[in-house]
Amino acid sequence: MSFMQPSPVKYACSCGVLNPINKLFFCRHCPKLRCGLCVCHEIESHFCSNCLENIPSTEARHRKNCCANCFECPCCQHTLSARATTVPVVRKTEEPKDTKEGESVGGAAAAPAAPASSKPSAVPTTKKMYYLSCLSCRWTTRDVGIPDQGVATGTWPDNECLYQARFNTLVEYFQAVVLQDKQEKMDFLRRKAPKQPKFPSLTDRTGLTVSMIRRQIGWTEKTLPKPRPVITPAEATSEVEELPAEIFTEPLNLRNVTTIAQRHSQPAEQPTSVSKLYPQRRSLWIKRSLRCRQCEHNLIKPEYHPTSIKYRIQLFASCHVPEVVMVRCEQPLVAGKSNAILLKFTNPTMYDMTISLLTDAPSEEGEFNAENQGPKEEQDTATPVIKGVNLARQNSTREVTREVKDISNAPIVPLESEFVLSQRDDSKEFDEYVQLPTEEPKFIVWRKGNKVLIRLQFTPSEELSPNTDVVLGFFMQYTYVNTVTNASEKKEPTTHALHSRVFITAGTTEQKAN
Amino acid sequence: MELPDTYYSKDEYVETASGNKVSRHTVLCGSQNIVLNGKVIVQSGAIIRGDLANVRAGRYCVISKDSVIRPPYKQFSKGIAFFPMHIGDHVFIGEGAVVSAATIGSCVYIGKNAIIGRRCTLKDCCVIEDGAVLPPETTVSSYMRYTKKGTIEGGQGNPYFVPAAMQEEMINYTKSFYEHFVRTPAPAS
Repeated sequence: MSFMQPSPVKYACSCGVLNPINKLFFCRHCPKLRCGLCVCHEIESHFCSNCLENIPSTEARHRKNCCANCFECPCCQHTLSARATTVPVVRKTEEPKDTKEGESVGGAAAAPAAPASSKPSAVPTTKKMYYLSCLSCRWTTRDVGIPDQGVATGTWPDNECLYQARFNTLVEYFQAVVLQDKQEKMDFLRRKAPKQPKFPSLTDRTGLTVSMIRRQIGWTEKTLPKPRPVITPAEATSEVEELPAEIFTEPLNLRNVTTIAQRHSQPAEQPTSVSKLYPQRRSLWIKRSLRCRQCEHNLIKPEYHPTSIKYRIQLFASCHVPEVVMVRCEQPLVAGKSNAILLKFTNPTMYDMTISLLTDAPSEEGEFNAENQGPKEEQDTATPVIKGVNLARQNSTREVTREVKDISNAPIVPLESEFVLSQRDDSKEFDEYVQLPTEEPKFIVWRKGNKVLIRLQFTPSEELSPNTDVVLGFFMQYTYVNTVTNASEKKEPTTHALHSRVFITAGTTEQKAN
Repeated sequence: MELPDTYYSKDEYVETASGNKVSRHTVLCGSQNIVLNGKVIVQSGAIIRGDLANVRAGRYCVISKDSVIRPPYKQFSKGIAFFPMHIGDHVFIGEGAVVSAATIGSCVYIGKNAIIGRRCTLKDCCVIEDGAVLPPETTVSSYMRYTKKGTIEGGQGNPYFVPAAMQEEMINYTKSFYEHFVRTPAPAS
């Protein structure tokens, strides 16, 4: 019964997908429920999940979205850790001798005094050398013959792949092509719409052009096109190398052949034998910020720092929408037999809420949509030039609304009246609880602070076969006090009557008692 | 889903002044080195090895049945040394989990039968799935989910792996776990 298990209570998002409340967000400006599918995901910051270092986006791009210090095991894709060994070295000789190896695990290990090495005349000293080792599969850099390094991080060489030079020239070439395209487009636009200078230019009156002046001074022509790097097109060849003879004669040892995952983790070489595996740089992780696609307001904006768990903007549905929690079903579920379910409603906001449970959708839905979508579309179609240049943010204002499928199969008995959920007050938790004798509707079992437990009658439909899920569906209408408004002149909070569709999986039906 | 009440008998559990509820059927070695900061539940069958090094647990932690809390060790050239272990607030450790992490942040969920290798670092608001095995010295950063397959998924703002409101969820969950962990009512006679 852990909270990691799927929740029986699902809310219909404004895009029509059913989600538990912890996966939903609430846009205060629309005001509507949003889920992960109907929001814009944006990269907030890059960081390495192992060393927790924050890396700016330009630097991340420069490093090909990889961490500079952390490596991944080429065998099992787990993080490698540096291991220190002390090797005795003879002073004034360059090569460290690997004869004696005082194994000391861990970076900060104190180096023991090494025993005198083979040459008694030289003064024996020890030197700390590092290698990378995987603590998950026991792979080490020594397995593939990578020499130990004197520094724990930073000096591990990148293995240049065979096609690196070719790849670099191609990249260079196409970057030049893109740049030229851009330049031409800009020139075209400038010629089309001549810019009116603010101040009268001297060159206009004297008949001197900029290029003439430049020539007189002795500068080079400004619009000298940079020569493009020459690339040779790749050629296909029909001649394929013969398979080596060993492949037919030698027995295959599958332990030495890499798996598909191992090959894909080294896309440049895709080695076939385990002796060619090489530590890979760990790819970076991102923090995302989510943005409402309709009003372009942020729903979530995490704090920049990788170790921070806070948000600068957090519009979780669980902080704005009354939470429905299923407590229990009163009797075993039998098709066609009336039953009752206990539901706990919690008000997470600082204002009182009035809640009513309805079986049909409230009517004002349509008008809301039209009002919201009208001006947005207009804005999107205007100024196409700017839109073409500004590729940074492509927000689609189109909203795909699916029809919420009615999956309920147990009609509920609507409550006689609406009920009020009082505001959240964290200090009430510490107060002595006193039951006030108040006039309560019959269906309310108990009330404490911002929580209300109600009993809802329902009947699983007759045609349900045994062992099928009984699903209750209703529209929960609630008043929501919005403290932010789109109109600037209105400062006082506005009250909306919102509704969300809730589905509850009450359980499975039992065999009808005979 | 609301948590159902879990009942314990008065004889089985010791309740301290700060609200810790510790089963008598546990192995708490070196109890002078174990600090429970209040409202911590240690269920029967759990083992906490305070004799190896200090163990500190924050408020509203749940240490479930048959789990093992063992401070991490590090091997040096001259032998091994144990390091103290810190557990933050609102941490849930599932049944049968073996934990040798160096630090566990706040609002962390560790699933059933998970193995946390020695000197792992679990940052705030991360999730370890049921049955996951963390190799030694793994770092699981905030809002990440370590899966049973051995991969790390998620990240802050990704709603699919760890809930965005993980902090609030864990606080609610551990608090309601504590509130629903009640003594068996005395038989009316």
